Amino acid sequence: MDAFLTSRNVSDLLGGVTSGVIYALVALSLVLIWRSTRMLNFAQGAMAVFATYIGFAILAPTTNYWVSMSVAIVAGLVLGGVTERVLVRPLYGKPEINPIVAMVGLLLVLESIAAAIWSTSARALATPFSIVDWQLNHKPVALSPFALYEIVTSLVVMAIVAALFQYTKLGLQLRAAALAPEVSRLLGVRVGRMLTVGWMLSTAVGAVTAVLVASNFFTGLTPSGMDGVFAFGFIAAAIGGLDSPVGAMVSGLALGVVFQFVGDYVNSNAVILVALGLLIVSLMVRPNGVFTRSAQRRV
Amino acid sequence: MARVTRSGRSVGLILTAVAVAIVVAFSSSTRLALALGLAVAVLGVGATLVSLPAVRRGHPVATRALISVVVVDLAILLTFRVSATSDSNVAIGAAMSIVLLGLSFLTGSSGQISLGNGAFMGVGAFTVGIWADHHATTPLLAVLVLATLAGALVGLVLGLPATRLRGPYLAGMTLAFAVAFGAILNVFSSWTGGDSGLQLPSAVVAPHWLASFFGPGASALATSSAWLADISILVTGVALFLMANLFASRTGRAMRLVRDNDTAAELVGVSLPRARVIAFTVSAAYAALGGALWTLVNNSVSPSTYGFVLSITILSLVVIGGIGTIPGAIIGGIIYAFSAGAISWLTAHLGLNPQGNVASQLDGIIFGGLLVLTIVFAPMGIAGLVRRGWRRVRHG
Amino acid sequence: MIVVDGLSVSYGAVRALQSVSFEAPSGEITAVLGANGAGKTTLLRAISGLVSPLAGTVSKDGDVLTGRRTEDIVRLGVAHVPEGRGVIAEFTVEENLRLGFMIARGSLADALAEQYAIFPVLGERRRQAAATLSGGERQMLAMARALIARPSVLLLDEPSLGLAPLVTAQLMQQIRELCARENLTVVLVEQNATSALRIAQRAVVLRVGVVVANDTAAVVRDDENLRQYYLGMVE
Repeated sequence: MDAFLTSRNVSDLLGGVTSGVIYALVALSLVLIWRSTRMLNFAQGAMAVFATYIGFAILAPTTNYWVSMSVAIVAGLVLGGVTERVLVRPLYGKPEINPIVAMVGLLLVLESIAAAIWSTSARALATPFSIVDWQLNHKPVALSPFALYEIVTSLVVMAIVAALFQYTKLGLQLRAAALAPEVSRLLGVRVGRMLTVGWMLSTAVGAVTAVLVASNFFTGLTPSGMDGVFAFGFIAAAIGGLDSPVGAMVSGLALGVVFQFVGDYVNSNAVILVALGLLIVSLMVRPNGVFTRSAQRRV
Repeated sequence: MARVTRSGRSVGLILTAVAVAIVVAFSSSTRLALALGLAVAVLGVGATLVSLPAVRRGHPVATRALISVVVVDLAILLTFRVSATSDSNVAIGAAMSIVLLGLSFLTGSSGQISLGNGAFMGVGAFTVGIWADHHATTPLLAVLVLATLAGALVGLVLGLPATRLRGPYLAGMTLAFAVAFGAILNVFSSWTGGDSGLQLPSAVVAPHWLASFFGPGASALATSSAWLADISILVTGVALFLMANLFASRTGRAMRLVRDNDTAAELVGVSLPRARVIAFTVSAAYAALGGALWTLVNNSVSPSTYGFVLSITILSLVVIGGIGTIPGAIIGGIIYAFSAGAISWLTAHLGLNPQGNVASQLDGIIFGGLLVLTIVFAPMGIAGLVRRGWRRVRHG
Repeated sequence: MIVVDGLSVSYGAVRALQSVSFEAPSGEITAVLGANGAGKTTLLRAISGLVSPLAGTVSKDGDVLTGRRTEDIVRLGVAHVPEGRGVIAEFTVEENLRLGFMIARGSLADALAEQYAIFPVLGERRRQAAATLSGGERQMLAMARALIARPSVLLLDEPSLGLAPLVTAQLMQQIRELCARENLTVVLVEQNATSALRIAQRAVVLRVGVVVANDTAAVVRDDENLRQYYLGMVE
């Protein structure tokens, strides 16, 4: 058993899950916005990083990790809401490239401002968990307390979002507003408010993701630190289907594992080529994602 | 109609050739006066032609050629007026115009957008670097063509999914390509030099056909950036001419139909998938050509130049200039040529520490901010504003 | 009671409604009839605030609705079952009903039980996706979803569309009973004039956005001209 747990394949699997949950979270936050507004939030990573800076750089460095994280989440909620109200709202009904351009502009502004205020050098967040892998019979298991914390936090966030959507009145209205905006208005759903709430939720999920990424000793917090993660998260969401929250999360996890195996058995530089290849092939075969039912029926 | 077009085309080509030859011959600063006179003459003829709608309709190709020549001439004139460092800025800006023309074509003809044209520039830039490493004596033009083809090839592969994709998916895919470009270069680090990039084996020497125009002073050309700026501008002129014709061609018009209405396009027999892939491939090829010129001007190529930020900058320039239009691309290139100077001027006047965080991020904040403001308040950019203003003036 | 006064609506250059005025009293069914493109759907959309009129007002029991947002008009007790029913296919039957109850107060369980008593088939299928329902069942779901919030005004847009004659007859009977029992103001838009006039007390006939008749259903039913030229009713 011990030998199995420290074997190469199990190590790859654990490492893959650890990064996969991050891609899954990014994919989830992209889906939250896509479903309701048909927009791909290219500034998602930058907004998340900005919220994280607010949580961890404005407060004193000695501030408790959990307090900082809470501040980052609140900052994410506010940033998401303000962005929807001020920047996104005038763009509904415009050609589809307009919101893309606007969000890319926001990405550039936020990353530049973050770098101007806090510099481009990486800032290490002091996590309450060790990044040293656990040992079994003096052999390392590819899992550290920090990695476990990362996985558990991600799963908790996903569970909270899922429960919110499935079991609450707010979730019902959010789903209805996304599926049938006009019918929802006729039933009294304040659709505009739901769109704002969707952006708030998405950015808050993003903030948690960025905190997790930045808590990792090896990456730290940098203004453009989410660019690469965002790219992988987008690939996951596009493969899983931007309409399907479950599909996006599953494909995020799966991609994390696949990349880990490719990196270990082939070459760590090959990962990105595999990712692009997977994206191109899957988009050609299933343009709307693997998990999206073709031609969803609407009445 | 066909005859008119054909004769128009030959007139245009001859005019272009003559103008190119003259401009190249006179681009040494001692002959400033002559070049100036020529430019004024061409400008006059061009303006007359453009102002006559009948001529414009009868000889569209000639008109486009004249406009290209006028733009080239004005830009080359500029290189007489500025210092050597600005020369390379002009060269870089001209090359950027080519990239912007490509992106403008993609958006103008298919309504799609690419966030990866910085990486496509990198494809062209590295093609030149790698080729020069092995075949230093290849003629300049051949190298440029090679780089353009390399860009088209990569664009074709990445553009294949574009046949079935709508905007946001394609934009996301190109973003992934842009973000991943550095890592992709690392995969082939034995060719690309990895993180440090490539240095051209020797300074690019002006080709013989160009040098012979300058006579005995040719050796000085090797170190002067002026001729590179002129080459960049000339190539830009040719690219501009070709693009203007592509915009106006049957294919170009059919593509605009694709952008405006999928169903209508299919009804008149336009193949949607093919139109999208062509647009994407052309934009990648143009980007690669611009990148190839950058390598020549910089005499080296570094992966950090072709990062994600460059792709966003390209998008900013084309949107601020006027997305989907040819004038917009030219305006964007001019903005880029002067942006570095403008930003350092601004840094000095704001009293910022030039080495500080704020100063180093000023361009990002300004470009990003302008990008957002433009798309919200003036989605057609400067070109759109000018056009609207012009219409208001004409119709009172 | 709904009072429509001088209502004009246009889509760009196209005038969809031209000073339309009529009253729809409480406890009665007012049928709005006319050919395709007469402006019937636009009229309902203007009442519930989905389109804003150029001129004129709509009021309910003295409250002016015009200028308010749809979400607020709904909260004043105006339920609108749109053309095509607007059932959310991805939702289960019960989720559709829960959504309808969102603006109401009181116990959700009681309200659900009440609707399942009126429409037993919905109770049997409460956990099924609405996509699996038949046309008639969807129409019932749409009605139940509108009624669950206890509205005082019910706007129905072509409820009989795509239904078999027998199902239509049952549906019309149900509408009539509901109207009487709940003292509802029902505005019933129908292309099927025969079945609408059978249950309606009043009728408004529209022709390209203009009211050509506004009277009791009986008068309209017996008017040879109206029947032939505007309603296309041939015996």
